Amino acid sequence: MAAGVKSWKKILYEDQGFPDHYVDASFLDELRKNLYTRTYDYWTVVIESGVIVQQLCSVCIFVVVFLFMDMQLLQAETLVSVSGGLCLLGYLVHCLLTSVGRIQSDRSFADDLKTFLIFAGFSYCLSPILVSLTETIATDTIYAMTTVMLIANLLFHDYGTSAPMVSGVLSLNAGLFASVCLASRLQTTLHSFATVTFAVELFALWPALRRNLRQAVSCCHVLMTTLVAMVTLLLVSCISLTATVLLALAIVFITLLCPAWLIWLQTYKNNIHGPWDEAAIQQ
Amino acid sequence: MKYNVCMVSDFFFPNQGGVESHIYHVSQCLINRGHKVIIVTHFYGNRRGVRYLKNGLKVYYLPFPTMYNQCVLPTILTTLPLLRNIFIREDIHIVHGHSAFSTMAHEAMFHARNMGLKTVFTDHSLFGFADASSILTNKLLKFSLADCHHAICVSHTSKENTVLRAAIKPETVSVIPNAVEASMFIPDPSQRDPDKITVVVVSRLVYRKGMDLLAGIIPEICRRHPDVQFIIGGDGPKRTVLEEVRENYQLQDRVVFLGALEHSQVRNVLVRGDILINTSLTEAFCIAIVEAACCGLQVVSTKVGGVPEVLPPEMIKLAEPSVK
Repeated sequence: MAAGVKSWKKILYEDQGFPDHYVDASFLDELRKNLYTRTYDYWTVVIESGVIVQQLCSVCIFVVVFLFMDMQLLQAETLVSVSGGLCLLGYLVHCLLTSVGRIQSDRSFADDLKTFLIFAGFSYCLSPILVSLTETIATDTIYAMTTVMLIANLLFHDYGTSAPMVSGVLSLNAGLFASVCLASRLQTTLHSFATVTFAVELFALWPALRRNLRQAVSCCHVLMTTLVAMVTLLLVSCISLTATVLLALAIVFITLLCPAWLIWLQTYKNNIHGPWDEAAIQQ
Repeated sequence: MKYNVCMVSDFFFPNQGGVESHIYHVSQCLINRGHKVIIVTHFYGNRRGVRYLKNGLKVYYLPFPTMYNQCVLPTILTTLPLLRNIFIREDIHIVHGHSAFSTMAHEAMFHARNMGLKTVFTDHSLFGFADASSILTNKLLKFSLADCHHAICVSHTSKENTVLRAAIKPETVSVIPNAVEASMFIPDPSQRDPDKITVVVVSRLVYRKGMDLLAGIIPEICRRHPDVQFIIGGDGPKRTVLEEVRENYQLQDRVVFLGALEHSQVRNVLVRGDILINTSLTEAFCIAIVEAACCGLQVVSTKVGGVPEVLPPEMIKLAEPSVK
């Protein structure tokens, strides 16, 4: 039979004399595995995981501040003045970075002032409504809703990736809804005004500042993460020891264990490539 | 040894397409060899019950409604009574399922195996591995083909793809390429325009047929070669993209749209051309290029999937899938 003598070619237009189910030695020769998988470096991933720690800590700071105000340890006026001062400080940093040219900003000082006045005005005028908003709702429900909203804030926050789940808008809205829930539990209108403005600073302005700082000054990321984590642990330890321990464990898990887990999982990647792949149009 | 074969698929006449005509032609060839063939599919509109096609080919149009993508809802249990009845009544020996998308084919093969009949599966398309729908379909295929006696693929690339997806032994897969009825595609050079070079495109105008590539190619070629004209047959969501290109580059007299074509009209469109261009991004076999080669056209195609295996080098020119 000529079948054994001729070599088999991968063609269909000729009867090569081989049986239909013949498996040549070159079967699956063009199969390639894991061509485009990323390899991660442990310490790089550890440093990058700082964004998650920062957001978690800001959520914890918010809850702790609310608890302080609830327990009358913190006066509303103090919170307003502190958050006003921090806002000013943050704005100065922003202006400094823009003037040095490290970041782009197409908003003038007048734009920012206008936004600030509009926002502060509206919050101040609407805080009487806010303070009595959830009078008929049980406290447990409020706390449950706040928890869910803050978890949503953490999940959908824009940490810098482009995954389909990321939605900065949803994250911000969840955070502000949580702040409205908590603000409505406080005693006076000034308390709720203070809570809402603090929440806006914490969930809307501070992440933007962190992003800009990170882009402009590369070394400040690690510094910021450690600073924020230490401040949060300190504040939480004034409330409850259990919470401090849990928070510390969470931070260790996110920073040290999760990167190791990710790298270990990468060894199980099994991407198959071959001539059957759908072509991607090269521009 | 004469067998009674039952072809099962969700895709059959009156739908038009590659799988449909494949099933019909294979059935006719088997009948000509003396075997008995019946076809089982779901109903289409008013077409229910039993119909007879040429040469006594019996087609059962079963009352299962289609749910998604022209396939019936996968329930497994509700199809058992009717299919079992048909297999016993027609004394079926082999059940042949077509197309990995077709839920009816998988269910029929499942029931056939439970009844002790032999099963064969033909895979007509290439699949990926990475996205969510591919992962689920491949898992389903692994279950379905785990108990299947033999599989048929339409090209060697398709065989490699199916073996990887379904985790079956390559020795149980045969490669049997598709074919065209040559008497339906007789060339006729008198239909061509003698002054111009006519490039024909006959395909569904969808993303995976590379319509974006075509949209990039048309203006380039028209710019470089003033004697080229395009005839585009077929319809689909990407038609607006191509019409936009025609408007932007003022090519109204050089690009003609024919709209959706019946399979019987395809030959008359093909013989008007000198060249067929196929811009598919993925193809297990691509019968269109064989039809065009049969009509005497030169074929130009993207080098994807099973296309390089189909035609000898002198009948086809292959290119990378990029506008350049």
